Amino acid sequence: MALLDGVANKKGFWSWIARTPLSLRIGALILIVHVVLAATGPFWIPYGFSQMGTGLPLSPASLSHPFGVDQLGRDVFSRVMYGGHIVLLMSLSGTALGLIAGSLVGLWSGYVGGIIDNLVQRFLEVLISIPFLVMALLAMVAAGPELSGDPLLVVFVVAFVYAPRIARMARTAAVEIATRDFVTIARLRGETSWSVVRRELLPNATGVLLVEFALRAGYAPVLIGSLGFLGFGLRPPTPEWGLMISENRSLLLIAPATVLGPGLALASLVVGLNLFTEGLARILGRTVKLGGQQ
Amino acid sequence: MTMLVEVHDLTLSYRSGSSLARVLHGVTFHIDRGEVLGLVGESGCGKSTVGLALLGYCFNSAVIERGRVLFHGQDLLTLGRAGLDRLRGDRIGFVPQNPTTALNPSMRVGLQICEALILHGRNRHMADAGRRAAELFDLVGLPRPGEILKRYPHELSGGQQQRVCIALAIACDPDLIVLDEPTTGLDVTTQEQIIALLVDLRARLGTSMLYVTHDLGLLAQIADRIGVMYAGNLVEVAPSRTLFAGPRHPYTQGLIGSLPRIDDPEGTALRPLRGLLLRQELPPGCPFSPRCDHAVAGCAQHRQGLEPVATGHEVACQRWRELGKQPPGRSAAGKRAKRPAGAAPLLCIDGLSIAYGVGRGLLGRFFPRRQLVVVNDLSLEIGRGETFALVGESGSGKSTVARAISGLLPPISGTISLDGATLALSVKARSSDQRRAIQYIFQNPDASLNPRAKVGTILGRPLRMFGGSARGKTGEAIAAALADVRLEGTYQHRYPDELSGGERQRVAIARALIAGPVLLLCDEILSALDVSVQANIIELLRKLRSERDVAMLFISHDLSVVRTLADRVGVLFGGVLLESGPVEEIFRPPYHPYTLSLLEAVPHIETERRRKGPGPAVAGESTAGARCVYAGRCRWQLGEKCVKEPPPWQRSGKGLAIRCHIPIDELKRIAAPAAVTVITGVVP
Repeated sequence: MALLDGVANKKGFWSWIARTPLSLRIGALILIVHVVLAATGPFWIPYGFSQMGTGLPLSPASLSHPFGVDQLGRDVFSRVMYGGHIVLLMSLSGTALGLIAGSLVGLWSGYVGGIIDNLVQRFLEVLISIPFLVMALLAMVAAGPELSGDPLLVVFVVAFVYAPRIARMARTAAVEIATRDFVTIARLRGETSWSVVRRELLPNATGVLLVEFALRAGYAPVLIGSLGFLGFGLRPPTPEWGLMISENRSLLLIAPATVLGPGLALASLVVGLNLFTEGLARILGRTVKLGGQQ
Repeated sequence: MTMLVEVHDLTLSYRSGSSLARVLHGVTFHIDRGEVLGLVGESGCGKSTVGLALLGYCFNSAVIERGRVLFHGQDLLTLGRAGLDRLRGDRIGFVPQNPTTALNPSMRVGLQICEALILHGRNRHMADAGRRAAELFDLVGLPRPGEILKRYPHELSGGQQQRVCIALAIACDPDLIVLDEPTTGLDVTTQEQIIALLVDLRARLGTSMLYVTHDLGLLAQIADRIGVMYAGNLVEVAPSRTLFAGPRHPYTQGLIGSLPRIDDPEGTALRPLRGLLLRQELPPGCPFSPRCDHAVAGCAQHRQGLEPVATGHEVACQRWRELGKQPPGRSAAGKRAKRPAGAAPLLCIDGLSIAYGVGRGLLGRFFPRRQLVVVNDLSLEIGRGETFALVGESGSGKSTVARAISGLLPPISGTISLDGATLALSVKARSSDQRRAIQYIFQNPDASLNPRAKVGTILGRPLRMFGGSARGKTGEAIAAALADVRLEGTYQHRYPDELSGGERQRVAIARALIAGPVLLLCDEILSALDVSVQANIIELLRKLRSERDVAMLFISHDLSVVRTLADRVGVLFGGVLLESGPVEEIFRPPYHPYTLSLLEAVPHIETERRRKGPGPAVAGESTAGARCVYAGRCRWQLGEKCVKEPPPWQRSGKGLAIRCHIPIDELKRIAAPAAVTVITGVVP
């Protein structure tokens, strides 16, 4: 609608912000707080993340220890703040890795079609049908004991769990885009399938893939937390939130803040990411649709 | 006559963000009882908004600034929900553009009619409503109404669906029917039947109609008066005969001048409107002044309302007195040089058969699927630099032929050779040079240009692939290619959605030309464009053709365009070539019976030829399994012979070949000479 564009000429950051969905704004706010805390936390936290004897062990929340003190006498608040960047970095890099692998496989498979597509899709379905925690554990076991607890392994596991799911979305998008005439033109030109995927499909699937990234990234902290909780994630004393919840779970009745603190951090990150994602999907959903036509 | 509808100074805007975009600007008109008013204009001129306003319907974002829409003296805009519910569907019927989306897909069509009848209290009981629905279906010419009642929309053809929509609109015997482009999605022959039906219904029921369309030619057949809209303004209103004979507004003159005519002798140039409608840059005065050849300084400053020129003829132009009547004339374009006969053809297709559903590869060999043959034993030749037009209704296999030539769809049998060398059937197996030689242009530039790539990138890719120029010169080559299609070099930094529809199609043409092809496959490249834009592209194609020696396979269902552009024509029906020959012979008797029905279906501007009753019955299905594909739909079928024996090719002296059992002399006799000596409009 060129008609409407002409009127909406009022550019300017604030008016643009005002037109974005509310969920995007709230989500962005939560995320900004998280990122700022994660980035600056290690520099201003009152105690070190593995520093013992900061207070009376098992003490509940107080002004000097907002999230209480754990069994070993560590300040839970400092640990939560310190752990923020670990959780964020691992979630984002794991999802990004899954996105890259998944989207390339998916787009290519959707474009090539035929038997290859069929085989790839059936294989992906097998992977997806395995519950993701079981698959993560399988991957952990396959990697062997010497790698266990390695942050890189956790990142790869996240990628491995997400890639097949993202590939399916990418494939759906590719099948639709591949029927459009500009892809036909490229094929008539004799382009290789890799070139078509890169030049014609990928730019037109960015909307779908971005939404997919944000959606998956929103649940990655939960996945990493679950792994930590089960003892398959990072090694103690790393202040990873899931691991902390697991370590302190026996203190739930004595010093509830030691569990609720990291839980609150995890929950607010997931809520923030999801709100942001939902808003982003709505914006992108609009522009992606309008991309081709006026 | 008394006025049924009065629209007075209707001004309406669409809200977008905090600002308003004006869509209708002081639109004033009336419709008398029993009158058909046609509303014509390019896309986005606000004609559909007017149509919806007559239903008291506005989009959520619409803001009515002022104005009244009186129906029986009652203002629809202030009526309120309950009052409108009583009027809509009862006193005012609506026929939408797309019947497929207008009908509920999960409900039998009969029930949808009954629902309307019962809702408006026409019938108490379902059984009565069902009987009335059957009557209505009979009235709109649906065969076997009793059966059709029980069908779901997807079990009906597009034309039948539109008939159901019309039945729905007239179900409660309304005083007014609003028709919003009711035939735009339909075939030429189906369109003609629908128009004939509407003319017939109007004569029988005396209903008033507002017919909204972009096709002037159609209005000539059905409208009593025509209103021409431009950028939300009504610029001219006149009885249709007066409008075509002496249009007063420069825009109307341009619109009529843009129409390709079927009676044009070969190669008269069109007079397209120049420029584009830029809504952001509309002047405070006459909205058309930036594109007007007669505009003076005052035009852009002062708004001009409708002024009476003669009885019933009003025009919104400040200079109509000075300009006078300008019957749309045309300049003669240079006649095309005839190709020397006997030269080796460029493209040679022999015995081509194409089927869908062919199992490919290993799986296909073991599990053969049912094949659907869409093109059967087609042979044709295209000379160097020649334009060959392939015409036929949708589903006749026109595009399939082009896809086979391009190598997208390997045929099941037959050969395709270019320049004497046989081409591999699949594009993958062709050499880079062969791929370069044949370029494809698609119907819809929205879909054929990558929306995420800049024009420069879109054009640069074929240049790199086919080694058109050295690396450093890519920019210049792209600018030159853009200049070829009359676009500025700066366009290479734009994205497709920053261009208008016509400009996008130019970019698509430039992309094909930049490869340096010898054959262009043009697949309905004009049908997605507005009339005036179409005229511009036709002129462009003509110039390009004379500048460089490129042959074209021009696929179209629009005979008027074909007449103005083609050298030779092939008529395709059901995947079989029925007639082929030089363009002037095709448009002159003898005709193949199918060609004749196509020609008759083209809407004519001349009001004398307005349909009085139902047109020649073209309905009927073609007989399956018959040896002549047209058997069953043919008006002159020779009984069993057409079903049992394949028709022979008959040749007249002048290069015309007709595949029919009826002898050529007989075909000459049946052709009504009046059918083609009239002005025609553009088929959408």
